[in-house]
Amino acid sequence: MINNRYLHYLFRLILGGVFIWAGIIKITNPLGFAQDIANYQLLPQSISFFLALFLPWIEVICGVFILTGLFLRSSSFFLSCILAGFLFLIIVTMIRGLDVECGCFGSLSRQVDYKLLLADSALLFLSLNIFFFRKSLPN
Amino acid sequence: MNKRIMKKLLTHIVFIIALSALLGFGTNVRLIKQFLGGEFQYGFISSEEYPSISFIMLPEAEGLFAMNEALFIDSRNAEAFKAGHIAGAINIPYEDESDTRLLVELSVPKEKTLVIYCDGSECQSSVGLSKFLHDQGFTDIRVFFGGWKEWQMEGLPMEIGDDK
Repeated sequence: MINNRYLHYLFRLILGGVFIWAGIIKITNPLGFAQDIANYQLLPQSISFFLALFLPWIEVICGVFILTGLFLRSSSFFLSCILAGFLFLIIVTMIRGLDVECGCFGSLSRQVDYKLLLADSALLFLSLNIFFFRKSLPN
Repeated sequence: MNKRIMKKLLTHIVFIIALSALLGFGTNVRLIKQFLGGEFQYGFISSEEYPSISFIMLPEAEGLFAMNEALFIDSRNAEAFKAGHIAGAINIPYEDESDTRLLVELSVPKEKTLVIYCDGSECQSSVGLSKFLHDQGFTDIRVFFGGWKEWQMEGLPMEIGDDK
């Protein structure tokens, strides 16, 4: 884990920004996101629908908390869990050989492939770094 | 991690989830009402946003086929289409809306009844293609929910090979 104070702020800026952006795009098109979730062919229609209504808000709220530093450890812990979940979903989707868009960034989404796997892993790395960051330790 | 910190983390996470649910459900009351009223059971298409799209089941698809008035469109890929499709159907493989191959003009009147289908209830390309055709100005688009799977199971008329 990297324990540099400036990098810590940079990580928070990137992670918070990405999640606020991703969340807002989905909030503006809930049915589109519901369809994206349904495309994974894992969840029933009703769960896809309700998940699409509140998952983007979780992303935005956690993003805001990460940026502002409010509930920083809890929100970075939660985001790490969510990102780990996404990672699992990406791997399962790749193994199943499904050709779907990830739905991560609304209409700007990309196909579920190894690049997405790397991007998600990078975000998970940032998130875990924020979670484990200790102010008291020397740089 | 000790118990006290864990408890604090979980409390905050529950708070974040509750706040998100409040905001997410609170800002989408209209959509939730539509959902509870039976919409979005087959695809997430709002009847207000896409008034020309409706979902149909096997009997209606069969009826339209028998009357020979609708154009059947298969949205699966070319290989799947070649292996077998609804008799008389044309193939417009649909991956996403940015696929420029879709822009080939369908030379049928905009008010023609179109029946779009893919593999079956789990595939989504028929829904995607329907939205695309709606945006192209077609006014009577019906998504055949059971798709190729149901049609084949019922032993209804089919063809093999490319479309004509």
